[in-house]
Amino acid sequence: MLKYVGKRLVYMVGVFFIVSIIMFILFNNTPGDRALNQVQSLRGKVSDEQFQVRYQAARDKLGLDDPIPVRYIKWMGNLLQGDFGYSTFYKNDVIDVVGEPLKNTVIINIFATVVALGITIPLGILCAVKKFSKFDNAVQVLTIVGYSVPIYIIGLVLIYFFSVQLGWFPISGMNSPNFQGSGFAAFMDRLYYLALPVIVMTVASLGGMTRYVRAAMIDALRMDYIRTARAKGLKEKVVIYSHAWRNALLSVVTLIISWFMSVFMGSIVVEQIFQLNGIGQMYYKGLMNQDFDVALAIQMLYCVITLISNLVTDLSYGLVDPRVRIDK
Amino acid sequence: MMQKDKKNRKKHSFSLMKWLFGGKKEAMDVMQEEAIQSPMRTIVKNFVGNKLSIGGLVVFLLMFLVVLIGPLFYPIQLSEKEETQTNVAPGRDMMKVPKGLDGNVRMISTGSTFSVGVDNNGKVYVWGRTKISNKIDIKKDMPSQKELGNVVAVSAGFDHAMALNEDGEIICWGSNRMSQAKPPSGMKRKKVKQIAAGYQVSFALTEGGEVIHWGNDNLNDIRITRKNGDGNIEKIAVANTTLLAITKDGEAVHMGSQPTDIDAIPEDLGVVVDIAATADNALVLLEDGSLRAWGKGSSAVMELPEIDGKVVSLAGGRSHFTVLTDQGKVYAWGADNKGQSAVPSAAKDVSAIYSGSYQNYAITKSGKTVTWGLKGYLLGSDDLGRDVFARLLNGGRMTMTIGAISVVISTVIGIIVGGVSGFFGGWVDILLQRITEIVSSLPFLPMAMILTSIIGNSMSENARIILMMAVLGILSWPSLARLVRAQVLAEREKEFVTAANAMGVKKSSIVFKHIIPNVISVIIVSATLDFASCMLTESTLSFLGFGVKLPRPTWGNMLNGCVNSVVIKSYWWRWVFPAIMLSICVICINMVGDGLRDAIDPKSNER
Repeated sequence: MLKYVGKRLVYMVGVFFIVSIIMFILFNNTPGDRALNQVQSLRGKVSDEQFQVRYQAARDKLGLDDPIPVRYIKWMGNLLQGDFGYSTFYKNDVIDVVGEPLKNTVIINIFATVVALGITIPLGILCAVKKFSKFDNAVQVLTIVGYSVPIYIIGLVLIYFFSVQLGWFPISGMNSPNFQGSGFAAFMDRLYYLALPVIVMTVASLGGMTRYVRAAMIDALRMDYIRTARAKGLKEKVVIYSHAWRNALLSVVTLIISWFMSVFMGSIVVEQIFQLNGIGQMYYKGLMNQDFDVALAIQMLYCVITLISNLVTDLSYGLVDPRVRIDK
Repeated sequence: MMQKDKKNRKKHSFSLMKWLFGGKKEAMDVMQEEAIQSPMRTIVKNFVGNKLSIGGLVVFLLMFLVVLIGPLFYPIQLSEKEETQTNVAPGRDMMKVPKGLDGNVRMISTGSTFSVGVDNNGKVYVWGRTKISNKIDIKKDMPSQKELGNVVAVSAGFDHAMALNEDGEIICWGSNRMSQAKPPSGMKRKKVKQIAAGYQVSFALTEGGEVIHWGNDNLNDIRITRKNGDGNIEKIAVANTTLLAITKDGEAVHMGSQPTDIDAIPEDLGVVVDIAATADNALVLLEDGSLRAWGKGSSAVMELPEIDGKVVSLAGGRSHFTVLTDQGKVYAWGADNKGQSAVPSAAKDVSAIYSGSYQNYAITKSGKTVTWGLKGYLLGSDDLGRDVFARLLNGGRMTMTIGAISVVISTVIGIIVGGVSGFFGGWVDILLQRITEIVSSLPFLPMAMILTSIIGNSMSENARIILMMAVLGILSWPSLARLVRAQVLAEREKEFVTAANAMGVKKSSIVFKHIIPNVISVIIVSATLDFASCMLTESTLSFLGFGVKLPRPTWGNMLNGCVNSVVIKSYWWRWVFPAIMLSICVICINMVGDGLRDAIDPKSNER
């Protein structure tokens, strides 16, 4: 097992470097002169000669005249030491800029995951137990709708009903403008603003997750040990929750992990719709404003998240179900 | 319990088959019932039996055909922009003349999206898309008939309307943001003979030849001085924001002081009898019965048609002119993008014409009203005055094309990689597997965003679209490759492969001609579901502004500017229709995909 984890880790690091090289080359071949952008404001204020000097200094500082491999190694060295570069848009170090949004995104994701699981697991189990009933068929059709409709359409519809028609939730933003309270009041205000985004993300994930839970549960219910359990006269509740559900949990756990990770990417759209100060919004702005250090740092973060989620998913097979030998 | 369910299902699906295709009526004997079917036929049979999937397939095919053929009939111009037609609600009643008015018309005037008419009894009617904004509704804001009195003339502007009653009183209603609906005090003493409403501005011409104006006159710096004939005006014609007039001496004058196209009045006009104006052009009828036009040179309204007979009346819309001859014949020319210049054959023996915006009303000698031009927008218009319906069709074609081509790309890559790595194994397998894993560990949406924004920035629009197809295809093949590999691994141990090997068939033929056809069903299912997800990704990217860029429409970027409370609430047609189309389309594809999977895999059928 340890050997397997070690192997996977080494492999992960390899993939990380390959991806980082690809990303670095991509970002460095973008049109536009970053050094020129930095000193652009000086043009006209200082003499041409001085401007050239400043420009060259900026180029040297950014290392634009070095060959790509040298620049990559420099960049990677900085990255590994926790220096993600400088944001030209926020005029601050990237590491200071992304902290708060990252926190927000994680909070939103945890909320959305918990709520979604709270709904989908009971629903999926119920559907599996009452397979092919009217209720199940209705839910099946609804789930197809659920995972087909893109998240921004769900967002628009829910904004229409909850914000515009009913006026329950604010349309966008993170806090009330000029909000002064602290502690609990601030938390409640934040909650009030995050409620609709969380609902949207939850609704968007209901379809896929319900189907997944249902399928896993049906597989488990088909097993011989369920028949045995029923034959020896166990209560149906015990059969379902103790025998079947535990076995269905295997695939559900992997789902939860990979889903939680994928929510990071999915939240780009939600954060954009609701103008939330999250990591996805940051990424969007970084790309839009040509603030490439920010975009590159977040892109690498996304890659790391994906890699970790793949690893954890694989490992969790073995943890949840001892029969699965992953180190084969 | 399961058995019973299965029976029920079978019975159910069978009755649907009968219902759909007539089906066999007579009972089958044992031999027929137990006949062996090829796997493909079983799949087709299973699939056809699935009500939901067949429904999805039919709806999808319908939508596909509509967006494929529709754009031929409803082409769009990418540069289209029309500020008088922005955010018009859905409806086709812009030219629906009210009952009381029909056959009894004294005068009709058309504003931007609505028309105002008055009948011979002095009663005023308003019709068309009268709701200009949340607060302004020309129809609702109209004063009661008692307040209006016996109206002799009406005029409709961009967002307000005017009426002149027999007491010489001017009543305005509608938008008053630029006080265009608030005549100056002291109007009462003057005897008004003509009124005209424009964009945020109103004009009145008195019997004494004096022009009075109110509202936003800064758009064209309207200065009425003795120099341009004040006190000596015979007739006025509004050209969007400015005013043209004929003096009592038959001279055409421009009242605005901006040097626009319309300002360049030809010097050798001679004596002018009548005048009409579009937004950028003017048309005059000269004393000798000939017509002259000037203004924006490039537009089609400058090309005067051959006119048979003597012109008696002129009228101008937004970008077209109509004239009426003494024989009751109507000629219209200029832009015809909304059918405003296509005079119907019913318009003969006409006694009066009223044109404005994109609508035309001809009153025949028998009193009948003949209309042509823009009826309205089936699904409304957007923030630049573009027809949502036409954009929906064109955008659908773009969305589906991108989805389809990216699926083809990803499927081809997936089959090749999966097939090769599954069949050959060894180091090839290991290498391809690692590549697959690297690609699948690239975060999909951020990656697509980065590729389209970084590489696509310097590209032309068409190249960008091709790039998007490639990016979507290249990022979405790993799942299929894994699937194919697993299937090939299972198939390659079977006897037919051994036989092919023994016969000395080439390795590549074994993979792609012997094994792949056996796993094609899995590939089809995967491709169908991928098609849906590619369409979704494309529209998400376009929605975020990283995919196809405006003004070229797709279902995704039509929703781009819609996330604000004003649009969501007041201009619902701008987001509801693209959202519905996209959702239904993806739902249908997913239903088909699910149905296919159920049909192919009997085990999943029980799920």
